[in-house]
Amino acid sequence: MRDDTSIVSDLSVLGVGVVFVAGLVALGFRLAQVQLAEAAKHSYDGARQSVRRVLTAGPRGRIVARDGTVLADNRASVSIAVNPEGFQRRTWGDTVLAISNAVDEVSAAIGIPASLATNAIARHVRQRLARPLFVWRDVGDEAIARFSEHASEFPGFSCIETEERVYPEGRLAAHVLGYVGRREAEPAAGEKFNFRDKEMCGREGLEAFYDSYLRGSPGELKVTVDARGFAVEESVVVEARRGPDLRLSVDIAVQRAVERQLRGVRGACAVLDPRDGAVLALASAPAYDLNILVPHLAPEVNERLFRDSRNDYRNRACFETYAPGSTFKPVTALAELASGISPGACYECTGVFELGAMRLHCGRRWGHGPIDMRHALKESCNTYFSSFGCDIGTNALFSAARAMGLGAKTGIDFPQDSAGVVPSAEYKRSRYDLPWYASDLAHASIGQGQLLVTPLQMARLAGAIGTGFLARPRLRADSPVERTPLPFSARHLAVVRDGMRMVVDGGTGRLAGEGVAVAVAGKTGTAEVGIGATRRKNTWFIAYAPAERPTVAIAMVVENGESGGTTTAPKVNAVLKAIFGERETGNGNR
Amino acid sequence: MTDKLKRFNWLMFAAMLALVALGTAAIYSAGNARSEAVFHAMWKSNLSTAAFGLAVYLTLAFFDYRRYLNLLAVPSYLFSLVLLVAVLLVGTSTYGGRRWLWFFQPSEVAKLCVIVALAWIYGAASARPWLRKFPGFLVASAVIGVPALLILLEPDLGTMLALLPATLVMLFVASVWRRGLLTAACVAAVAASALLAAVYEAERPGVTEARRAAIMKFMPLRPHQVKRVKTFLFPGEDPHAAGYTLRQAMISIGSGGFSGKGFRKGETNHLKYLPQSISMNDFIFCVYAEEAGFVGSVALLALFGALLVPCAWTAYVAADGRGRLVSIGVSTLVFAHVFINIAMSIGLVPITGLPLPFISAGRTFLVTAMAGFGIVQSVSIHGRDNGR
Repeated sequence: MRDDTSIVSDLSVLGVGVVFVAGLVALGFRLAQVQLAEAAKHSYDGARQSVRRVLTAGPRGRIVARDGTVLADNRASVSIAVNPEGFQRRTWGDTVLAISNAVDEVSAAIGIPASLATNAIARHVRQRLARPLFVWRDVGDEAIARFSEHASEFPGFSCIETEERVYPEGRLAAHVLGYVGRREAEPAAGEKFNFRDKEMCGREGLEAFYDSYLRGSPGELKVTVDARGFAVEESVVVEARRGPDLRLSVDIAVQRAVERQLRGVRGACAVLDPRDGAVLALASAPAYDLNILVPHLAPEVNERLFRDSRNDYRNRACFETYAPGSTFKPVTALAELASGISPGACYECTGVFELGAMRLHCGRRWGHGPIDMRHALKESCNTYFSSFGCDIGTNALFSAARAMGLGAKTGIDFPQDSAGVVPSAEYKRSRYDLPWYASDLAHASIGQGQLLVTPLQMARLAGAIGTGFLARPRLRADSPVERTPLPFSARHLAVVRDGMRMVVDGGTGRLAGEGVAVAVAGKTGTAEVGIGATRRKNTWFIAYAPAERPTVAIAMVVENGESGGTTTAPKVNAVLKAIFGERETGNGNR
Repeated sequence: MTDKLKRFNWLMFAAMLALVALGTAAIYSAGNARSEAVFHAMWKSNLSTAAFGLAVYLTLAFFDYRRYLNLLAVPSYLFSLVLLVAVLLVGTSTYGGRRWLWFFQPSEVAKLCVIVALAWIYGAASARPWLRKFPGFLVASAVIGVPALLILLEPDLGTMLALLPATLVMLFVASVWRRGLLTAACVAAVAASALLAAVYEAERPGVTEARRAAIMKFMPLRPHQVKRVKTFLFPGEDPHAAGYTLRQAMISIGSGGFSGKGFRKGETNHLKYLPQSISMNDFIFCVYAEEAGFVGSVALLALFGALLVPCAWTAYVAADGRGRLVSIGVSTLVFAHVFINIAMSIGLVPITGLPLPFISAGRTFLVTAMAGFGIVQSVSIHGRDNGR
């Protein structure tokens, strides 16, 4: 075994060779394990650390009127953003500083100050490093032109096109449309994303109610990041898709006509198609231009619109509630008829109704003399309805009111839907800590007292008298129709319809029907609110037309008016003319 | 000359050139992933270094090793000691170690010088019989120990981990005090196991602080070494600190899969998850394996096999002891580098700073390794005619 001429052993040399081979084979086996058997796990780990999932927002659907007129649309909005990967420095502090300095330079070049604190940059670098930081949002063409001129000098900056909401009709139907804010897009259940882009989200009105419908379906972006988290490249995984258009039942011509009549006053108007509840117009005045809320609600605008004079801009059509005044009398009439009072029963109106210590005056100071139900409606006789109202009792009156949809939400597809108040003894006790007096009933019979309604409710009520059923008001064109038959006999309804027809045909609301191409039935109302110095009148008019086969029901209230017949009836008249056209000759419905 | 060319081991030569080519490609990929422009051209300097190394290789190959070993073994050994002392005095510090003297690392050169010196001493035909006994081992310990101590002072533990097995194998092959060597090997294995067990006991989840402190009091390893052993034992723990490098190494190698991601397409490297300071050096195998996949890894192992196995064969057929020992020494040294480097990248051994021969960007080691194989090639060419 041992060579005599040297002390080197031969076989051990071969053994070393065997060890080499064995070692390399062992490494090969382990590599097979790592690179073949565990490859998927390691690939997953690699992707998890280097891939960021970004949820991108899909453009929001439009809102269009019945005829396709676009009420809410999107417009291209260009923002200038800084991409942090263009400013990689050794330390995070230097990166933030480099971005901050570059922002100042660009600011000087495009002439728009940057309202971006160093803190905000630092926060972005910490939390959203792989995403661009929007510095100037929604900038004008001029600034973009200036930026493009210098673009090569600012390699870390880019123009990013997004969408902003725009309301082409400005203040038209402002309260109905509502407005949008922004919030992070919602991923599908169980999905996790590293970053979520902001998308528009409805804050008020239809934008809020149909938010999930209008919202686009989000897309997905894959951003590859390096070890420090800087974006290296990005690719679209799922394309974001635009949300569907929302078609409204609102008739743009009617809406315009209504808003023209409400210009300069405080008030509201609801116009419905009583057959299926379609809302033809829903307006509240004063209104505001929705575009001042884009791209975001400026603090000074917020101050002006929603804080100092909150009441001025709230939705009076279906959120604010009013005493209905005499427009409630058709309900009282129906309740009295249902309780067995004959329509022909004669009441001697002396101009005042006394009940114990209470004296309730009629509109005509010396009284209407003997008067039946139809004429009581026509002349809006307070004493007639108070007297018989006291006869039939609280339950009969208020169950009729509830049957007409008062005291309950209308079910409209809109976030604001006040129920109003149909009072009761319990309500009065809990609210005012006072017992229910007979005088309360007398007042309620003529729509005063604690009774509160919305114009939307009253428009539906007017339509229901004309058709015999309550239709749920609906703003979306293809939402389901829901009708509830009224629990009143056709005979009784006919009496009230006659009365309301007579109101317009020579009664207190004669101005409403003048010159309208079709016959109009309606009822005036003048609700007194407040006492002493704050005493004022809210003037109402409710109507349906054509009287025989109503296709339109309307309720309008104007605050601080003269009377329903003189203030509101002419405005309703103008709206009805816009809908049905004007009668060419003769003196109308007289 | 034709005679020499006939005996020239072409397989060994071709394998080496192929490894240098793969290494240059890997350096290109790793260098371009770095943000500092100076590293983008690193592959070029690697090529020029390789050209220089090739010149050294061919020179050493075509001259008779017996002559220049006689002439150079002792002076080069002494010169390397001088360099090792110099680097401690005036060397440049990088990554916590004083390893650089001007443009090269003396410790890399010293490894080859120690091997050559040992071969010269124990491979001599006239070697005294006592050299094969315990006194001979003491001499060897001194020859190895002095440079080893100087290298440990830098400190460069990784270099020592490769040099020790190479010299021990040389002594074993040279039949120097075999019984003692085997015993020492067993003792070393037991000690290593005990060390691993101690670290495991001290760092395992749920151990009390008092017990940990008690174990640490007797721990011969330094804190950062304990951390590396701990990372090796518990790779899943603490993925952002100590385990980070290993985790990234596993991700890059594993995600390469069967066929790899393609040249310059390794994400772990190009996205800088693999620590940039080591991607071109100690962890270049990760860069390579991610882009070349399992196929490429096996090809690389095969190339190392094609380089190392002929060395063992050369040693086997060599007619004289110095030729055998130098072949065994050089090949074992390179094998130790290859094995430890790749094994640490795939979690088989704790992480140590050790380059992958011919692949890593290390100019001193590249030239040293090529010089070593040049000597082996010379043994292949001249070693069979016994003394002439």
